[in-house]
Amino acid sequence: MEITVQGTDPFGNEEYEILFRNIMNDMGEALVIEKSHLVLKPEIPLFIFSVKLKSEPENKKISDVASIRSEGDGVHITITDERYAPEILDKMWTMYGRNSVDQQTRFDMSVAGGKLDEVSETVIASGEEAVREIIGSVWRSMPEGIRVRTVFITGTVLTVVATEEIMLPEYRKEGVDVHVMMGGSPDV
Amino acid sequence: MFEVIMYDGGVYRSSELFEKIEDVGGTVLQRIRSSQMLTVTMSIPSEDKEDIVALCTEIGGDVKEVPLAGTEIAVVGPTLGRHHMPHPICDIAEALRRKGALTIVMGLARGRGKATSQISASEVAIINEYDAAIFCFGNFAPCIEAKAEMMKDIKVPLILVCGPPMENFEDYCEATVCGVGRKSERMRSSEERGKLDEIVSTMETVLQERRRTLSEDPLFVHPSEIKQVLENYPPVDMCLRPSPIVLHMDGLRAKIPYAENVEAVGNMEIYGRKLKDIARITESKLDNSSMLIKIKTASEVECEDVCDIEP
Repeated sequence: MEITVQGTDPFGNEEYEILFRNIMNDMGEALVIEKSHLVLKPEIPLFIFSVKLKSEPENKKISDVASIRSEGDGVHITITDERYAPEILDKMWTMYGRNSVDQQTRFDMSVAGGKLDEVSETVIASGEEAVREIIGSVWRSMPEGIRVRTVFITGTVLTVVATEEIMLPEYRKEGVDVHVMMGGSPDV
Repeated sequence: MFEVIMYDGGVYRSSELFEKIEDVGGTVLQRIRSSQMLTVTMSIPSEDKEDIVALCTEIGGDVKEVPLAGTEIAVVGPTLGRHHMPHPICDIAEALRRKGALTIVMGLARGRGKATSQISASEVAIINEYDAAIFCFGNFAPCIEAKAEMMKDIKVPLILVCGPPMENFEDYCEATVCGVGRKSERMRSSEERGKLDEIVSTMETVLQERRRTLSEDPLFVHPSEIKQVLENYPPVDMCLRPSPIVLHMDGLRAKIPYAENVEAVGNMEIYGRKLKDIARITESKLDNSSMLIKIKTASEVECEDVCDIEP
């Protein structure tokens, strides 16, 4: 993840780059972000955090995060991405009932009566949810008191403009400029 | 002259240690037992230190120097939110506890932001109950300058911990430690541990200055002498709160309800005088189940004796 920081406080710039990287790593978002640009103007105060994602968040199906095979009258699921294990288990319980799901290990489960196509196509995480999580992580990295926020989203570019009291048009314009610079659309 | 040391070891033969402390005329300031492990902070006469250390070693424990023992310090952050807690505020509190201080961690109700940050009168009153306070601010100099106003009513020695180096803050605090701003993870690198040590040593220096000021007009009795008397008072003896009596540099905090006990405590005898005549007993602003005992100085008591002023 490439991070560029532009700001008026040299100490804050340096520290915020580290802070932003740590928080994104902690939240598991660093893998999906290609590059980030942070504008820090604490004297106003105005903070613009823009991130460009590696790809547009899409709905995740079980087949994207696990390998599935038919077994007897059901299916056997081997989870390859551990992050989605709770969602897969939850979906299987909802669809087939708890008695039909036998979870042998954290990564393996057999679903009696499960249909291969149906299980493969089951959506476990929506793209919208992923975007919401990224916005949440960006908010977390911003200073706590900077609560007046506007979010611009275009494809893979996501920009958060934040200030403390009134969101003036010039702050918004500055946010749009950063959004465009990162590859977003000016019509936001 | 009394010295404060800490025993860190097991409970095995610890009764011998307590007996020895009593024999030499010392007092146990704090006793923390966790399973089979025991930590005892004690105040003992300097001339008996060697014997106590020998006994501690014999029973398999370590003896540590605790320069901040007998003090209660508030570590204050702008809020209790995850932006400020647990790091670095709790890390700083932990470093102070390792040197013997009792700490509280406090988040202000409306401390976040630059233009909107504020501190209430009750928060100021609570902070002023402690021996010293540490204010932890963030990474941006303009925000810290704006928040400096929050420190102006604090009367106890104050250290400002923040990211950028700050100048001209002498009117607001006794010392500034820079290089510790907002943190998202535990301070465990050698550089960060060094910063924690710097905060602790700055606090030692600030409190030493406070001790020196107090020694210019010494207290009528040492707080530990009142502690010894209070320990036998049944409500304190039965109190289940951790450290029911906390020593301060100029008094102590007793974690018993004020309204129910003020009379009995005030009438306790210390060197032939009633406690209410040699100390000011007030209700803690923190909650209504603690009381603060601020010991008058010897000259104050003497003056009141001469003038026969009602305390």
